[in-house]
Amino acid sequence: MSEFVLQADDVAIHYGGVKAVDGVSLTLTRGQIRGLIGPNGAGKSTVIDAITGRVRLTRGSVRLGGQDVSALGATQRRMRGLSRSFQRTSIFGQMPVRRQVELASHKMGVADSGADADAVLKELDLLPLADAIAEDLGYGEQRRLDLALALVGRPSVLLLDEPMAGLSVQESHDLARHLKALTARWDVSVLLVEHDMDVVFGISDVVTVFELGRVIASGEPAAVRADPRVREAYLGSAA
Amino acid sequence: MSISRIFSLCAAALVAGLALTLAVSSGTVLSLLTQATIYAIFASGVGLLLRQNGMASFGHATFFGASGYVIGILLQLKAVPAEAAIALAILGITGFAFLLGLVIVRVPGIAFGMLTLAVGQMFFLTANRSRGLTGGADGMNVEWPATLLGFSISEIVQPAHMFGLCWAVLVLCLGAVALLLRGRFGAITEAVRDNEERARFIGIRTLLPRAALFALSAGITSVAGTLTALNTGFVSPESLHWSVSGVALMMVIVGGYKALWGPALGAIVYFLAKDILGDYASHWMAIFGVALITVIVFSPTGLAGALGRLVRGKKAKGRPRAATTARTASTTQAPAMQAGSSAQVSKAAQAVH
Amino acid sequence: MLAINLFNGLVYGALLIVMCSGLALIYGLRRVVNFAHGSLYMLGAYLGYTLASHSNFWVALVAVPAIMAVVGVLLDRYGFRLLQDRDPLTVVLVTFGLLLIVEDFVQTVWGKGNLSVAVPALLNTSVTLFGTAVPAYRIGVIAVGAAVALGLSLWLRFSRVGLFVRASSTDPTTTAMQGVNTDALSAGVVGLGTALAGLAGVVAAPFLALSPSMSSDVQIDSFVVVVIGGLGSLSGAFIAAMALGLIQSLGAVYLPDLSAVLPFVLMVAILLWKPAGFAGSRT
Repeated sequence: MSEFVLQADDVAIHYGGVKAVDGVSLTLTRGQIRGLIGPNGAGKSTVIDAITGRVRLTRGSVRLGGQDVSALGATQRRMRGLSRSFQRTSIFGQMPVRRQVELASHKMGVADSGADADAVLKELDLLPLADAIAEDLGYGEQRRLDLALALVGRPSVLLLDEPMAGLSVQESHDLARHLKALTARWDVSVLLVEHDMDVVFGISDVVTVFELGRVIASGEPAAVRADPRVREAYLGSAA
Repeated sequence: MSISRIFSLCAAALVAGLALTLAVSSGTVLSLLTQATIYAIFASGVGLLLRQNGMASFGHATFFGASGYVIGILLQLKAVPAEAAIALAILGITGFAFLLGLVIVRVPGIAFGMLTLAVGQMFFLTANRSRGLTGGADGMNVEWPATLLGFSISEIVQPAHMFGLCWAVLVLCLGAVALLLRGRFGAITEAVRDNEERARFIGIRTLLPRAALFALSAGITSVAGTLTALNTGFVSPESLHWSVSGVALMMVIVGGYKALWGPALGAIVYFLAKDILGDYASHWMAIFGVALITVIVFSPTGLAGALGRLVRGKKAKGRPRAATTARTASTTQAPAMQAGSSAQVSKAAQAVH
Repeated sequence: MLAINLFNGLVYGALLIVMCSGLALIYGLRRVVNFAHGSLYMLGAYLGYTLASHSNFWVALVAVPAIMAVVGVLLDRYGFRLLQDRDPLTVVLVTFGLLLIVEDFVQTVWGKGNLSVAVPALLNTSVTLFGTAVPAYRIGVIAVGAAVALGLSLWLRFSRVGLFVRASSTDPTTTAMQGVNTDALSAGVVGLGTALAGLAGVVAAPFLALSPSMSSDVQIDSFVVVVIGGLGSLSGAFIAAMALGLIQSLGAVYLPDLSAVLPFVLMVAILLWKPAGFAGSRT
């Protein structure tokens, strides 16, 4: 019986000669928030794609709640509670907010999908916009909708691909607050890929640092921040 | 739209139709209205596919004409009673469209349109050349029996009754579709239309719903085909030509495809305007072409969209919708939210650090 | 006779080459399936009729493509360019609207009756080819088709502009970033495309009767050619055009029903197998 809700072992994604991800192992314990940082092109989004099953693994395995899901497709992994948000907002443009969230919940097999949708929308401050058409929302609201679609059906693991991208400072902090609150309340474990250092170091329990497809450091935020390799590679010695 | 609203709108429409049959005495006018209504049903089928699946078909005339041909052939063979022939035609065409849909809805973009055009032309050519079966280029008569569902045919085809029948069918079709699309099926097809990848990711099987919708749109169009076979007692290959599908698509765009009743409006406008033009009627297609281009450029949601904006403007209710640009900053947050959460926001700022 | 039918097939095929290369070029650059293309062909034929009756055929042969080129440039500038950010279906429907307008225009100006254009005196003879007498004019048509095919191929492959056209067809954004004026390029290519349609019309006039239905007669055939040839692919269009010309000509005599339906069966098959040409790499 594994104590990790998520375990990636020696995951590699090679595109021909390009090693986008090269032997990455990471874990998530229950209710943990792990930040994932690194320079652009380091392979962070690819790791999310690999873990969620959007791309095929060249090597390695992914275990969800102790079970090997490496052979399963993205949708099947989602059904088992491995959810994600998207870096480029992926919502249903012409549908009203509540309708699409409720549909997603229903498809997850939730019995009372209406209540689940309302709960998620409330958690993300989207309830006042329940009847608005998705494409009419502001950018920040659309990002939250993308997140709402990922949160229905109470996933056990949530992978967030740059959720703060394009948000103002205020919006980022609001969203960070939401995330911290709901992961605690709903027992969701989070892998957070982000560039906003304040957010990452502010809410993560542990931080993993990527460079060129590999992990170069991992541990408590303070320790990672102080790590000389990390400073050199990413944060710059001024950090 | 709530269920009660749909029912009341349908009831009002039916009453309006009934009033028209009583108020209008001219057989020619009623005949024109009947034609318009039949094409309104045809266009509604085409429009449903565009609205719900995001797919434009240049081949729906196939389902329109095929209906008449199936009934005509069955009646000629005296194989089944007329009522059964109608049911077989509509259900058979719907079933065929479902199977066809399973194959072709996977084809994206304009390729789908060209595909439907090609399939349509295949049927057109077949009907045009099969003298023995379909009467070839001359078409064939649809030999209706003396009575249909207990009513005498001569009574049914009276202009007022015919219009009433077609109008009732239009209203009921639109009402039924509106009810259907409120539910799960509507949501699923909209999701697939808007974002196929995410739809698949949330667990939707994208092929079956779209094929089913294609079949439904074909079924509605075939109902129109049945009515026209009843109205004229005749069917010819012209009704299968791709240009007929093209005109139907134009009605959908001019009328507006986002509203369920938009395509029907487009068809009715088409026929009424054509009639009003009188002497200029020979230039009608060019005028409609100009109308199409004008609508596309200036009011993409068509006449229905323009009417909708007018009505909403008059009511001026509620708060305006949030801005549409995707990359706007927090200034676009809805007022209700800002009022409530600003206190929490400053607390959050401290919490995160 | 087989030889005559083969020959006629080549003639029609040559005509389709001229017309369909225009359609393929317009699609390649603007990702627009030009539903009005057949009507532009018809307009070219009727303009040719008028010019030929006022001066002579050769003047028409040069002037009509020039006029149609201007039409094309205007169409691109005020049609395709303004709508380029919209849904592709939108632009296609606009060309459909244009088709109706052009057809009506032709009918209004020239009437609904059949008109004919005399074969120019120079070519009004027969030549004996492989034992059969064929009209010299039709050999001329085949020559025009071959010239267009060869000329376009060489131009695309070896000229600078041709290179830009090929680049822009594949990736318009990057091409524009390289400093190529893609708007001018598109206008030019669309102009060339409509000029070719007009040329086909003028060339067709002496041996096909001018009638209001000539637009729809070729419209479908040209779609079939361009789809089967592989959208945007000129060499594919050339081959498919010849094939269709031959199928129709021979088929009409030997297997009438099958040959009428066969092109559409092929079209369906290709669209199912490789819709990628239509779906386009352009986002």
